[in-house]
Amino acid sequence: MREWLFTINGICGFGLAFKLDGFRLLYSAIATLMWVCSMIFSVEYMAHYKNKLRYYAFSAVTYFATVGVFLSSDLYTTFVFFEIMSLASYVWVIQDERKESLRAGDTYLAIAVIGGLVMLMGIFMIYVQTGTTDLTALSFDGSRMQFIAGTLMLFGFAAKAGGFPLHIWLPKAHPVAPAPASALLSGILTKAGVFGILLLSCYLFWGNEKWGTLILTIGVITMFLGALLALFSVDLKRTLACSSVSQIGFILTGTGVYDLLKEHNALAAGGVLMHMVNHSMIKLLLFMAAGVVYMNLHELDLNQIRGFGRKKPLLKIQFLMGALGIGGIPLFNGYVSKTLIHESIVEYRELLEEGVLMPFLYGKGLITLIEWIFIISGGITIAYMTKLFVVLFVEKNSDEERQKRFDEKKHYMSVASAVVLSIPALFMILAGMFPHFIPESFIRLSTGFLRSQALENFRYFSLTNLTGGFYSIAIGAVLYLFVVRKCLMKDGEYVNRWPKYLDLEEYVYRPLLLIVLPAVLGFLCRILDRFVDTATPVLIHCGVFVCRLADRFIDSIVVGLRKTVFKEEKLPQERIEGSPATHLIGSWMDHAIHVMNDTVWEYKPKKENAEHRLAMIHTKISENNAIIVRSLSFALSLAGIGLILILLFMLI
Amino acid sequence: MAKYLPLLIILLPIFGSVLIRLVRFKSRKAMCIYTEALVIINSILVLLTILLDHDVILEVVHFTGDLSISFAMDDLSVVFSGLVAFLWPLATLYSFEYMKKEEHENTFFMFFVMTYGVTLGIATAEDYITMYCFYELLTIVTVPLVMHTLTREAILASRKYLYYSLGGAAFAFISLIFIIHYGDTNRFILGGTLNLDLVGDRTNVLLLIYVLAFFGFGVKAALCPFNSWLPSASVAPTPVTALLHAVAVVKAGAFAVIRMTYYSFGADFLRGTWAQYVVMSATIVTIVYGCSRALKETHFKRRLAYSTISNLSYILFGCALMTPAGMTGAITHLVFHALMKITAFFCAGAVMYQTDRHYVYELDGLGKKMPWTFSVFTVASLALMGVPGFAGFISKWNLASAAVESKNPLAYVGIAALLVSALLTAIYMLSVVIRAFFPGKDFDERKVAECKDPNLLMLIPLGIFAVTVLLFGICSSPFTEFFAKVAAGM
Repeated sequence: MREWLFTINGICGFGLAFKLDGFRLLYSAIATLMWVCSMIFSVEYMAHYKNKLRYYAFSAVTYFATVGVFLSSDLYTTFVFFEIMSLASYVWVIQDERKESLRAGDTYLAIAVIGGLVMLMGIFMIYVQTGTTDLTALSFDGSRMQFIAGTLMLFGFAAKAGGFPLHIWLPKAHPVAPAPASALLSGILTKAGVFGILLLSCYLFWGNEKWGTLILTIGVITMFLGALLALFSVDLKRTLACSSVSQIGFILTGTGVYDLLKEHNALAAGGVLMHMVNHSMIKLLLFMAAGVVYMNLHELDLNQIRGFGRKKPLLKIQFLMGALGIGGIPLFNGYVSKTLIHESIVEYRELLEEGVLMPFLYGKGLITLIEWIFIISGGITIAYMTKLFVVLFVEKNSDEERQKRFDEKKHYMSVASAVVLSIPALFMILAGMFPHFIPESFIRLSTGFLRSQALENFRYFSLTNLTGGFYSIAIGAVLYLFVVRKCLMKDGEYVNRWPKYLDLEEYVYRPLLLIVLPAVLGFLCRILDRFVDTATPVLIHCGVFVCRLADRFIDSIVVGLRKTVFKEEKLPQERIEGSPATHLIGSWMDHAIHVMNDTVWEYKPKKENAEHRLAMIHTKISENNAIIVRSLSFALSLAGIGLILILLFMLI
Repeated sequence: MAKYLPLLIILLPIFGSVLIRLVRFKSRKAMCIYTEALVIINSILVLLTILLDHDVILEVVHFTGDLSISFAMDDLSVVFSGLVAFLWPLATLYSFEYMKKEEHENTFFMFFVMTYGVTLGIATAEDYITMYCFYELLTIVTVPLVMHTLTREAILASRKYLYYSLGGAAFAFISLIFIIHYGDTNRFILGGTLNLDLVGDRTNVLLLIYVLAFFGFGVKAALCPFNSWLPSASVAPTPVTALLHAVAVVKAGAFAVIRMTYYSFGADFLRGTWAQYVVMSATIVTIVYGCSRALKETHFKRRLAYSTISNLSYILFGCALMTPAGMTGAITHLVFHALMKITAFFCAGAVMYQTDRHYVYELDGLGKKMPWTFSVFTVASLALMGVPGFAGFISKWNLASAAVESKNPLAYVGIAALLVSALLTAIYMLSVVIRAFFPGKDFDERKVAECKDPNLLMLIPLGIFAVTVLLFGICSSPFTEFFAKVAAGM
């Protein structure tokens, strides 16, 4: 099919690039169909909810973003719309704002944000290394950096797709979201994640065995674990959510085999594509059916809703279609895609036996094991779908009055809802009955994107292919009869036997993110703060100490100097006034005065002490002399005199 | 006349603002109109200067040799002064409403407008000594703003602020002396002005001086371990916290670091030396430190203050990469973070003003009552997280790609720090948003019955900021190209 490219340059930093090819067209169309169906269903489902406007507004944003993801042509555009999709769909999860919804919302948001950031890191590494984010222009150069980048992106996409061990948001978020939103979350938002993984697997890592093995491993674990969780679950929507995890596991298994098969990938590619489409449709139907139950009963516990569907033939048929479809019963759509994936595993094993392909990590034996895990997972799927079907439509409620009320309820969904439930139901049977017609045309449409050959003359209903399906059915029947009826029921009630401590979120992620990480960082920060807080006073004290020392040092120099060089002279004892000369003259003068007093100044004697006066004059003169001698002017005048004398000397 | 424009834009607010205090206005309205007019006219003058007067050096005072007070509007100045000129009028508009409840308004607005001029002085300073002078002046004019409420807490905070800032500037001063001594000139020339012949074998001494100066200017940019003044200073009125402690003052610190690194010491001289490793490690530690503290903080404004600490170190990290790409990243984040953080702070201010709630746990359910405020806050949060389509993504991407290009092993640690910090930012910002919009089913609506959105004076700046954040996120290329040109010196 022709491709159309469309780019908007210069916005959002790098410009956005879109592409329309067969696969993208197909998935945009499926997204649109699913949105139309679930929004029509929402009219009835949401009739009594609060915040309807918010719900519809964010649904519209999510739709726009999801189609943006599917149409994006480079990783950057994918990332932009992926983030918008993740953040906008958060509002679905917390729509009713109950405590558990908010908690599930936290989980959802945390996974979305962490996944987004890790993915961004991967895109960033690819961009830095190659200068482009257009994956079609890239091929793996075998460097470790690119593989790490791919793994980081895989983390982000797998988180949204629900791959192990990041599947934890699905069982939490789906039961609390409104049913039409759950249908979209499970049917199409997870596919956006798968789309990202396909981008990596079909372009960057096309035919890379290491990558294929990685995806295959994740796929097998997810497939089996999800199915097991679903089997143990006693909540209608939780069962469906776990089933989504498991079905995503089937798709990832197919994707892994796709890469391992290299150019022989026609079967795997077809299987992956068809299982994506089928799972979208099936989950749309099943979640809306669960929505019908919830909107009538406001209960999801299997023991409470038991028997609701009795005497409601329309719902019964619709649900049955979904159950048969997902269970992979021949003549229904799930059988087609599961057979294709199963056959691709077989093909890989055969190619290994023939020596066309070299075993990478998984040899023939392990591939056979994977094949059996695949079949067993299919069996478990049948078992839990049987369980749901029997609970809803066969068994009677233990409370007879309740059952009576159930039976009396004739109007349980509007015509519009009934119609939109029938659309995917019809698809199940049509796609299952005419595998050469509908599924193969889808596959032909997508060969360009998936870089694979078209299927040729694949016989869906050959004996070998049917055998695989029958194995699953047999295992499912055994499991239902011996595990579900015997082990998972007690006194006619369904009980949750899944051990509590096997909860990754409660016992690993949440403590790690909410306790360990903040504690470690907080501890480090506190140490740093403490350090600063203690260092500052210590620094100040040191400074003061040094200053004081310095002070003392200067002081001691001063003291030292004063004690040595500048030692002050001791204050002299009071000297006898004057000098010997003044004494002599003074005493003479005193004698003279004495004589004069006796004679001339008889009537007017003088009372002065001449000796003392002379001594005072002497002191004054000597003080003045000292001042003069020390003064600069004296020095200058002496210098002047000296100069004059020199001048005179030179002149004379 | 056009020649004196750079001087005019500095002096007009400084002297014009004194009138706010001196003149007895007839009414509060008259004062507001005068203040706003002053700020807007000055912003227009800045715009004119940017358009007309490019790379003309205006020497105002000549000391000796080539020591002078001189101004010029070079490319980097255009970025910073343009940013400041865009934000100041809006912040002033916002403050009119916010300050209604506070006392001594005239004093507040005097210093608020004066700071505008001083910040422009830093932006347009043409040489190291001029920048240093205005840098010191900035500390002095902003202290009264921090102290505004005159509570004991505010006085202690302003004292702390003063000590830290002046102490830091003292270290920066040492580098000024060394630049004068060992450089050809102390003017700012892209590529550095150190004279390697003069430096001779004293490289290590100069590197030590660089590290000292980096931490010295880093004090204003709240570099760990000199960050504790910033959260304390959030006791100031919100416009001050928003404009000064998210834009003007702290960005002046970052701006000075960029000037010193790229225009005085020169990136080539520093690249690959131990000094680069030391300063880069400090910025990386601060990035993680700020986020972690923000996560633990329950006071709304202080949480944002810690977030500022972390984001400022993004800028310093870009600067410490010592490559043109790193500088581009630093400038981009300088501008974009200013917008994002002022938006966030103004939202916090609006909440505090309307409801008098200061702690994050008090914000439950407010989103429904104050839809506009919290929508804008959501935009700011997403932008700070770095969601594509918002401004923050562009700058973070630029920083990260610059880090990879630099081929510096420590820079990879820096990228990891950016990633951790983005995650923590998501937690501490979105937890506020989620609380506000989705309080839970059993939430008692009566608790928030009284709350409503603020009036238009507050909402208009908020709206403009939110639109700008989105606009920068969606069509960022003209800006980033210009920033790249600045860094390349074209």
